[in-house]
Amino acid sequence: MQEFKYTIKDELGIHARPAGLLVKLASTYKSSITVDTGTKTADAKKIMALMGAGAKQGTKITCKAEGPDEAEAIAAVQKFFEENL
Amino acid sequence: MGLFDAFKKKGIEIGSPVKGKCVSIKEVSDPTFSEEILGKGVAVIPSDGKIYAPADGVVTTMFPTGHAVGMTTADGAEILVHVGLDTVALKGEGFHIICEEEQKVKKGDLLIEADLEKIKEAGYDLITPVIVCNSGDYAEVNGTVGQDVEPGDKILEIKK
Repeated sequence: MQEFKYTIKDELGIHARPAGLLVKLASTYKSSITVDTGTKTADAKKIMALMGAGAKQGTKITCKAEGPDEAEAIAAVQKFFEENL
Repeated sequence: MGLFDAFKKKGIEIGSPVKGKCVSIKEVSDPTFSEEILGKGVAVIPSDGKIYAPADGVVTTMFPTGHAVGMTTADGAEILVHVGLDTVALKGEGFHIICEEEQKVKKGDLLIEADLEKIKEAGYDLITPVIVCNSGDYAEVNGTVGQDVEPGDKILEIKK
C-alpha cells in the first residue's frame, strides 16, 4: 500500500471537472485508489463518490493506492493533486 | 420471449430536471461534459430556473454552491445535474438550495432554484448537463434529444 497526504489549495475544492479528470486518471490503473477527506472515504474511480466526499479548500486528504501498480498510481495521482487541486 | 422478458427489458427512465429544450451532450461547449468525462448523458437548455428531481431516489451530493446536485436513483443510477457551465465560480450567487444531502426525494421534488437571468448576466452559459455518472455500469444510456421538455418528461433511458 502506498499513500500521500495533501491539503486542497484550489478555492473550489474537488468539483465536477477535477473529479472527472481524477476518475479518468485513476481508472487507468489496476490498483484500488481511495481519497479520504477525514469524514468520508471515496473511491477515486467513482465520480459521485469523489464529488460527495466534501473536499474543499483547506481539506486535508489522504490518498491511498493498493494493487499491482500502486507505486505508479500513487505518483500519478499525487502529481494530479499538486497540479490541479 | 415471454411477457415478463419484455417487461424486464424496459430501462430506467430519467426525467428532465427542468423546463427547456433537450439537446445532445455534444452541444455542450465544455469538454468535461461533451467528451463524457463525467459519464454519458444529455443537456437541457433551461427556460425556467426551477430544478426538480429527475427520478425517485436520494440526494447524494448537494454542492454547497448550489450549482449542481447529484442523486442516486432508487434503481442505482447516479445522476448529476449541473446547472450551467463553470457556475461553480459563482460560489452560490444566483442559486438557492432547496434540498439537503441524503434527503430522500420523489421525482418532481424541487431541488434548486436558479436565478437564470442573474447567472446569464454574469456571463455564464445556462446549458444544464444531466449525466449518468456510473454509465460504465450500464449497457446503454440513450438520450431523447431535440425536443422541448417539461420537468419530468423522459430525456434518458438506461439499460443494464
